[in-house]
Amino acid sequence: MASEHIARAYDEELHRLNNTIAEMGGLAEGQLGAAIEAVATRDAELAARVVEGDVQVDQLERDVDNLAIRLLALRQPVARDLREIFAALKIASDLERICDYAANVAKRSIALSQTPPVRPVYALPRMAHFAQLLIKDVLDAYVERDADKAYSVWIRDAELDEMYSSLFRELLTYMMEDPRSIGSCTHLLFMAKNIERIGDHATNIAEGLYYLVNGTPLEQARPKGDVSSLEVVTPGGAPK
Amino acid sequence: MSPATSRQVMPLSLAGSLAADPEAAPRQKVLIRNVDFFYGTFKALKNVTMPLHDKRVTAFIGPSGCGKSTLLRVLNRIYELYPGQRAGGEVIIDGENILSPRVDLNLLRARIGMVFQKPTPFPMSIYDNIAFGIRLYEKVPHHELDDRVESALRRAALWDEVKDKLRQSGLGLSGGQQQRLCIARAVAVRPEILLLDEPASALDPLSTQRIEELIAELKADYCIAIVTHNMQQAARSSDYTAFMYLGELIEFDETERIFTRPKQKHTEDYITGRFG
Repeated sequence: MASEHIARAYDEELHRLNNTIAEMGGLAEGQLGAAIEAVATRDAELAARVVEGDVQVDQLERDVDNLAIRLLALRQPVARDLREIFAALKIASDLERICDYAANVAKRSIALSQTPPVRPVYALPRMAHFAQLLIKDVLDAYVERDADKAYSVWIRDAELDEMYSSLFRELLTYMMEDPRSIGSCTHLLFMAKNIERIGDHATNIAEGLYYLVNGTPLEQARPKGDVSSLEVVTPGGAPK
Repeated sequence: MSPATSRQVMPLSLAGSLAADPEAAPRQKVLIRNVDFFYGTFKALKNVTMPLHDKRVTAFIGPSGCGKSTLLRVLNRIYELYPGQRAGGEVIIDGENILSPRVDLNLLRARIGMVFQKPTPFPMSIYDNIAFGIRLYEKVPHHELDDRVESALRRAALWDEVKDKLRQSGLGLSGGQQQRLCIARAVAVRPEILLLDEPASALDPLSTQRIEELIAELKADYCIAIVTHNMQQAARSSDYTAFMYLGELIEFDETERIFTRPKQKHTEDYITGRFG
């Protein structure tokens, strides 16, 4: 943060806001990591812990809301201070959503662990680790107020989109080949979609951070790597 | 080039800003150009260049002694009442440099009304407080004078409160009412420009809001410049903001921009309370 305010309590309140965001970020990273470990190791107990852990993030989001409201009401922030608080509110809501998606992955892993393993399960951790990396990098960027690093996260999300597209096609193929796998493959498809959405929230955070640092929105069109929503696949035929 | 002079012309995008009426592009009413000011040998303004737009409010902010009130006093040459004070440079109002010695000061001050920090009603009736200035500049028939007084008091949102006691002394009004009386007195002579020097700093929050609401209404007809120590007031009531420090104009821009993403670190430090 820039040089200090004349009112020291103002600085302390802003630091608290920052620290709470950082804590939420750490939690989001951990929740996603644990969820994906639960998928890979078919560990229903770990998955249940992730689902339960979600309330912690919800509480932190409420803390951020309360702190921000208090700062807005009592300090009448302007310029950089105002952008700090505005960005914190948006980032907190993105981190909360990320944790929701992680919890959903965990929840589905419990169901998945009761069915025979399907092969594409191994592609999922690769996607999840990439999403985790995006979260980690965007949080580092937040702590360092590094708009360039935020921009690189924003660009790299396209890779995650591409991973999702290819997993989508792979899962469709499995389901067509073996209808008995439809149940587990559908769970995997939703999990993959959740992870893809986590990447989108990481890019939202990057946008919020970019605005915080520069005062202008990141307005370029973002590259999209997910084309699955445009695809039509019919049994017995090539994708049209 | 100093940061101030590089921004003397507003970017076109400001014409469509949220703060200003998007229908009409602001017209430059006043151009303050390379203005210096001296109290004896002390240089209080240093090469200040900035525009004031018609039907817009421009706020001057900055710490005490930055020159914001001085700049306001240059605009109607009120400083000439005091020996040893002089201004250099130009203040061009509608194409005419009003710092030129050829300008008639009485006529100039009829064109440019001023309201001070402390309400300054004359020790006379509410009616005469308003009529005084009109009689000074114009020969107005009696019945028309009544209309002019009423309309000025209405413009200043004071009519309903004083219409039944127009013959009572203006000094008997509350602080907020006295200040609105002074604004009524200023608008009664139909000026083109209104200068407000911390008009609400001695008032309670409700009276302050009334004055701010009044400023918002008056800007439909006037070019308004306001000096204020209250940053929120500048943010709420102005379309443009000038930040001054030690006699220099540090930054001039659209108010919305100054309070969300100022260009100069100095401005940012001041408005966010990081000033040492």
